Amino acid sequence: MAAEKTLAIVLRVTEFSETSCVVTLFTQDFGKLSALAKGARRPKSPFEAALDVLSVCRVVFLQKSGDSLHLLTEAKLERRFRAGARNLESLYAAYYVVELLGRMTDHLDPHPELFRLAVSTIVELDSAIGEKHELHTTISILLMRFQMQMLSMLGQAPGLHACVECNANLEETIDKKRVAFGLNSGGILCAKCKRNDRRIISLSLSALQGLADAMGTNFGINDAAVRKLPLGEMRGLLDWYITHLLGIKPTILKFL
Amino acid sequence: MTQLSESVVRLIDQLSTLPGIGRKSAERLAYHLLRIPQDDALALADAIRDVKLNVRYCARCFNLAEQELCNICLDPSRTQDVICVVEQPRDLMALEQSGGYRGMYHVLLGKIAPLEGQGPETLTIDKLVQRVKQGNVREVIMATNPNVEGDGTALYISNMLQGLNVIISKLARGITQGSILELTNKEILADAISERRPF
Repeated sequence: MAAEKTLAIVLRVTEFSETSCVVTLFTQDFGKLSALAKGARRPKSPFEAALDVLSVCRVVFLQKSGDSLHLLTEAKLERRFRAGARNLESLYAAYYVVELLGRMTDHLDPHPELFRLAVSTIVELDSAIGEKHELHTTISILLMRFQMQMLSMLGQAPGLHACVECNANLEETIDKKRVAFGLNSGGILCAKCKRNDRRIISLSLSALQGLADAMGTNFGINDAAVRKLPLGEMRGLLDWYITHLLGIKPTILKFL
Repeated sequence: MTQLSESVVRLIDQLSTLPGIGRKSAERLAYHLLRIPQDDALALADAIRDVKLNVRYCARCFNLAEQELCNICLDPSRTQDVICVVEQPRDLMALEQSGGYRGMYHVLLGKIAPLEGQGPETLTIDKLVQRVKQGNVREVIMATNPNVEGDGTALYISNMLQGLNVIISKLARGITQGSILELTNKEILADAISERRPF
């Protein structure tokens, strides 16, 4: 039973007893894991204020074998999510990030790049400012970038450059400046192949280009071209696609 | 076949359904109840029966009550135009035990926890807004738990109360009395700095 140290994002905290709780963490080096934090609810707990949803903390835990809960022995707060006291949209968007991490990854399946992406997205959501409309646009961009890059890292990225069934060129998939996106096929489809997918969403070319760009590093919140993209259409497609992959609608979507 | 009597087994089964009580603890409690005088054991049974039959939520503030209104709402000596918003009745009890507050309360009976699927419609927020709209409320103090979900709940409520001509405040937070600055967590210290007040 070795003690392991790593950075972690707190995904969930559940009361276990009068003084203890079970935390679900997404860690940099071990992926998702659940651990028992004994005494975490005591006034002078060894975990201070670290075990709060969306917090980034440095943890030490004892790894248990089999299905047993790991044992959390230390947690030092590195960064707390503060936007919850300022704007609800940032808060709910950050909740969506942790819900996706929880649902899309497996226990003890490490994805260090995804961890860094999640931390940077949470930090940017935390510091996002602006008037209501501006803020909404910023949050949409941050969420889409996170979703597309996460899907790419997990090998679930939608096919956006050619028909995912027959590999026909993008030009052959365009019909009246729109393309057909097949949810079952996981990408765009040509006129012939789309007949075989019963769940088709029509997508504009600018939305298609925007989604492809979101996988790159130049998809910035301050880029005027990005802010002019049909973000609502892009987010709609991504939410449908992720719901399709998960087989369940993420709980947070109704709050966003 | 169990060697214990049916009644004792049933008591152990019931006790082990309580939070934090495992099978061993339930057995220990059951043997204790068997040892103590009959009147003491029955007083405990009566207390459990009474609390389930008589206790309900106050029609105004959702604190625990034995009549339509709770003792706090019925107390004319309390400051009537200040409402302190808490998540659970046990938070109200903690504030009462502090002895530092003599106003009214509103118990939300939970918090907005979207990750658990708990939205604002599951709480008593509408009733709070109604109370404020009825007038005679000068200040609403947000005393939700100082964590992300508590802050989110307080922010949602304060948005709902915007424009209702009421002061909205929240509990202070930061470093605790008796702690040492150099050993205090930097995030907690940042809270204390940002929420400093005139000396």
